[in-house]
Parts: sequence; C-alpha cells; structure tokens
Amino acid sequence: MAQPHPVSAEPLPDAALIAAWQGGDEQAAAELVGRHARALARFLAGAGAPEADLDDLVQDTFIRAFRSVGRFRGQCQFRTWLLAIGGNALKDHGRRANRRQVMPLDESVRDSRGDPHQLAEVREAETRLTAGLKVLPRLQREVFLLRAQQGFEYEEIAAALATTPGAARVHYHHAVRRLKELIEL
Amino acid sequence: MNDDDAQLQDIAKRLGARAAERLDVDQTARAVVERLREQPAARSAWVQPAWLRIAAALVILAGGVFALRQVWSGTSDGHAAHFVADDLRDLSADQLRDVLATLDETLTRDSTALPDGTAEMDELDAQQLRAVLRSLEG
Repeated sequence: MAQPHPVSAEPLPDAALIAAWQGGDEQAAAELVGRHARALARFLAGAGAPEADLDDLVQDTFIRAFRSVGRFRGQCQFRTWLLAIGGNALKDHGRRANRRQVMPLDESVRDSRGDPHQLAEVREAETRLTAGLKVLPRLQREVFLLRAQQGFEYEEIAAALATTPGAARVHYHHAVRRLKELIEL
Repeated sequence: MNDDDAQLQDIAKRLGARAAERLDVDQTARAVVERLREQPAARSAWVQPAWLRIAAALVILAGGVFALRQVWSGTSDGHAAHFVADDLRDLSADQLRDVLATLDETLTRDSTALPDGTAEMDELDAQQLRAVLRSLEG
C-alpha cells in the first residue's frame, strides 16, 4: 500500500489526491470525500433524492467515481464530474425504487432554529422548487442545479455533462422559465 | 438578472442545505474507504482498459487468420496454377512439374497441346515447363 500523502500547510489540489488514490492511498480518497460530500448531498437532495437514502447515494456516487477515476481527464473540475456521476446514481436509484416519491421531512429532523414563520416560508419555497425540479427533463434539472445551486460556469457544466456551453445555457433558461411558471414566482 | 431570477437562485442555493448538514461526512468517508477496500477486484477489473484492448486485438487477429485461411483454401482448389504462375521465375523444375501435375486433368480435359515432340512432362526442361504454364495463363 502507498504511503499516506504528506501533511502540508497548503491543501493538496484534487488532482494530487486523485493521483495519490490511484497509487493506493486510502487517506486521499477519504480527503476527497470530506471535501465534496456536502456539495454532492445538496445536489442530490435538490435533484429529488429522498433524505433517508441520501447517505447511501453519496456513498454509491463516490464508489462509482473512484472506480472510474481513470476516465477522469481533468476536462472539468472533479466536483462537477462527481455531481454528474451523482445524477446517474440518482437515476439508477429511482429506477430501483420504482420511482419512489420524495418523502416530506420528518418533524424530528426539521431545523427548529430561527423564526418559525420565516422558516415556514423558506421551506414552502424550497418544497415548491423541489416539486418543480422533479417535473423538468433531467438535463434541464441538472444544468439548473449545477448553475443556480452550485454556481458553476456554463463551460464547466458543459464539460461535465458532455454538451456544449451554448446548449447548457439554453437548458438553464428553459429550466428557469419553466420553474417560474411552476412555482409562481 | 431580474428579481425573480435572483429569488429563484436564492432558493436554489438553500436547496438541500439542511439535509447536507445532517450528513456525517467522516462516517461517510470511512464507509466509502471500507467499501473500496472490500471490493478491490471490481476496481482492478474495470479500470484496466489495456486488457480490453489486448483481448480485442486477439479477436481481430484470430478473425483475420481465419478469413485468410478461408480465402487461401477456397482459392487453392481451383486456381493454384494462377498463383504459382504469377512468379514462375522463382520455381525450380521440380516445383513446376508438381504444379503441372496438379493440372494434368485440366490439360487433358482442355486438350492443351504440349510442345511438339514431347510426350511426358518429365522430359521437359525448366524453360519448356515455363512456356507451358504461360500458355495456360492465356
């Protein structure tokens, strides 16, 4: 087994951690999970992943990514590539679960901080957006989330989803127009 | 960007945030590493495209050899003389006799004439045998 990567003041770039993992460094894989797991969870939750299955889906996505990391050529950021894999994992999960619907949050796991009225409004808006995203075509949904939720540029999104920046822009604008209609902004 | 777009983006940024906060990242990292460790065979089996390329090359090679053999065996039945006659200068007298022997029946059937005054192929020298084969080529 390879030696763990040396500890330094500067965090290693993702590419260095990927290379270390390919050399057998498990700590590098754990570090990559630590860096990207929350962003992946947000993306999956936004794309309709049931919260009860979120941890499994995050794990499955990382397993897929690490096993096919030889195909990652740095065409986009590791995170964008990872989220695109997450989209595939979610699609397969949905197929297995027979198009299971997103379950409403259980009271025990709801965030109880802040003003109840304000929180209720925020949740209502999020619920409507989640419902709106579910009826969008998959590509529109993923482009919208990568752009609006994750903040990626169109070039980056296009590279991860194997499309063109122009097409990604069109998908985004279609998604925005449709979501405004659906959630009545 | 108008207000509606900004509002939509604002909601999108918060989407899934609470669920993500509840994720135990350290535990997830440990579980991922553990699963990768438990199933290393799958990784080595699918991340080695070189083996796939070698297997594909072997299949193509085997197919090519088979096809060549088919072509060769199909041709050698009826057209051996044509291939041999392509390069008559490289053949010895004995080799030329062997070729002509395989054509013996054809010679008889087609009534191809041997040079005047010769009754047996064994009596022909190399130059005469070449002349016979060239006459057969037309």
